[in-house]
Amino acid sequence: MDVTASADGRIASGSRTEREFPTGLVLGLAPIVLVVAVFFVGPLIVNALESLKTPSGPKGLQQYGRIFGDVYYLMVIGQTLLFGIVVTAICAVVGYPMGYAVARSGRQVKALLILIVVAPLLVNVVVRSFGWMVILGGAGAVNAGLRAIGLPKAELMYNWTGVTIAMVHVLLPFMILSVASTIETLDERLEEAARVLGASSTRVFRDITLPLSMEGVVTGAILVFTLTIGSFVTVLLLGKNATMVLPVLIYQQLTVASDWPFAAAMGVTLLGLVSGLLWAQAALRGALGKARP
Amino acid sequence: MRHLHPALWAYVALLSLFLLAPIIVVIVAGFTAGDFIMFPPSGFSLKWFEKVLRDPDFIRPLWNSLRLGVAATLVSTLLAVPAAIALIRGALPGRRAIETFLLAPLTVPTIILAVGLLFFAARIGLTSSFAALLAGHVVITVPYMLRTVLGVYAGMNREVEQAAQVLGARPWQVTWLITLPEIRPGVIAGAIFSFLMSFDEVAVALLLTNSDTTTLPVSILSYLVYNYDPAVAAISTIQIAIVVVALVLLERLFGVKNLMFASR
Repeated sequence: MDVTASADGRIASGSRTEREFPTGLVLGLAPIVLVVAVFFVGPLIVNALESLKTPSGPKGLQQYGRIFGDVYYLMVIGQTLLFGIVVTAICAVVGYPMGYAVARSGRQVKALLILIVVAPLLVNVVVRSFGWMVILGGAGAVNAGLRAIGLPKAELMYNWTGVTIAMVHVLLPFMILSVASTIETLDERLEEAARVLGASSTRVFRDITLPLSMEGVVTGAILVFTLTIGSFVTVLLLGKNATMVLPVLIYQQLTVASDWPFAAAMGVTLLGLVSGLLWAQAALRGALGKARP
Repeated sequence: MRHLHPALWAYVALLSLFLLAPIIVVIVAGFTAGDFIMFPPSGFSLKWFEKVLRDPDFIRPLWNSLRLGVAATLVSTLLAVPAAIALIRGALPGRRAIETFLLAPLTVPTIILAVGLLFFAARIGLTSSFAALLAGHVVITVPYMLRTVLGVYAGMNREVEQAAQVLGARPWQVTWLITLPEIRPGVIAGAIFSFLMSFDEVAVALLLTNSDTTTLPVSILSYLVYNYDPAVAAISTIQIAIVVVALVLLERLFGVKNLMFASR
């Protein structure tokens, strides 16, 4: 595809490309590259440098020693990863049928469903978490319902239950959209063929639709996982101090403890976790790409 | 309408309720006549909206957010549109690498970017300035803009450009008269997405603002830490209303189906 496109361009544009190419390209690309380099790469480098500062003076890895040599911080890292895995798994299981419905419904219904799925995405994460506080809190909607039918009060806030529910809500749209867009591009004739040949609808789904849409689940899962382990507003509001994860810890070290080098080292650790995952994804995709013709 | 299993439709209805529940609850809570957030709300009134709209602690952040969102979107547009055109036209060998680099801010948790920007701003003496905040938001919004414009431009029929060029149009004329009008839906959608991303952004704004430059999400967040009354619901409802207006505009101009691709 790329080859044809560039060959096309060369045939069609001929000498113009040769002449206009360098100035136009530089003028078009230089500003954005400069801005991203200075204000994106720059802060990441400053962050890494900050993490090497030590109270004693010479630069070193002492801050990282503090993180990886302390059971509490290791536990927080473990909790962060586990939280990411649980939220991702729930999103995949809960979101898949919805993604399927979005992809396979008629034009009008599809537009409505997409609107329903995208709407929460566009409402501020602070507001959405606040909505969950209203629903899950001690005097909230769920507990009002429980009280009405004479059941005891449920503790749904300031623990992992509430944080997980709210987090799944925040990230579910990403999973649904990812699954839906994969199922949309799936060739329905394959399913029809299997049906004509006598496969039951369960079997068609299990042996054809599900395996072929796994790519969407994986893409969605990686997105949900990286967003979960990097988010802190929802956890901060619904978990307070009962549910500690790395981003909340970073925020606390920064604002409460004012320990900048330590916060920076935790930031680098979190970035390491995220990039490790993205690298694994790219490697996996590369391997799959090679396996397929 | 295609035939999907009724059980699936029941599930879809249930999940739609789950997706919309927190938003509905916030809106309903804002219109209460009572002094507390409770369910079901006690009576209907607009008093909390009145209170919020007279409260400079909410109105100033609202203006700050709107101003910041518009500024970040303008800068993003000026940066991303020429870049997208350059990337598609100049068939560079390293095009993929440049694209990956420019879209990289999407993959980094904003809290890390926020912490880095804070240290960075402190080093060059720009802490809690509008410039540092704007820079942070541009880095966050520019990938959305770039991705949307790249998507639209790559899908455009380039033969029109070639025809214009063969007929003697100068390069700037091709860009101004053919390319820009053709990619306009992408630019508008990208702009609305950029605005929403900036309008919703919390982490960078939380670390880089002070009480004068604070944005709406940050002021709601800090209000929530100490208070829990319908005022938050009212100001949140106003924020939702602004987003809905942007969404309706997006739908009118670009078609709702494209949201699926733009938000990916």
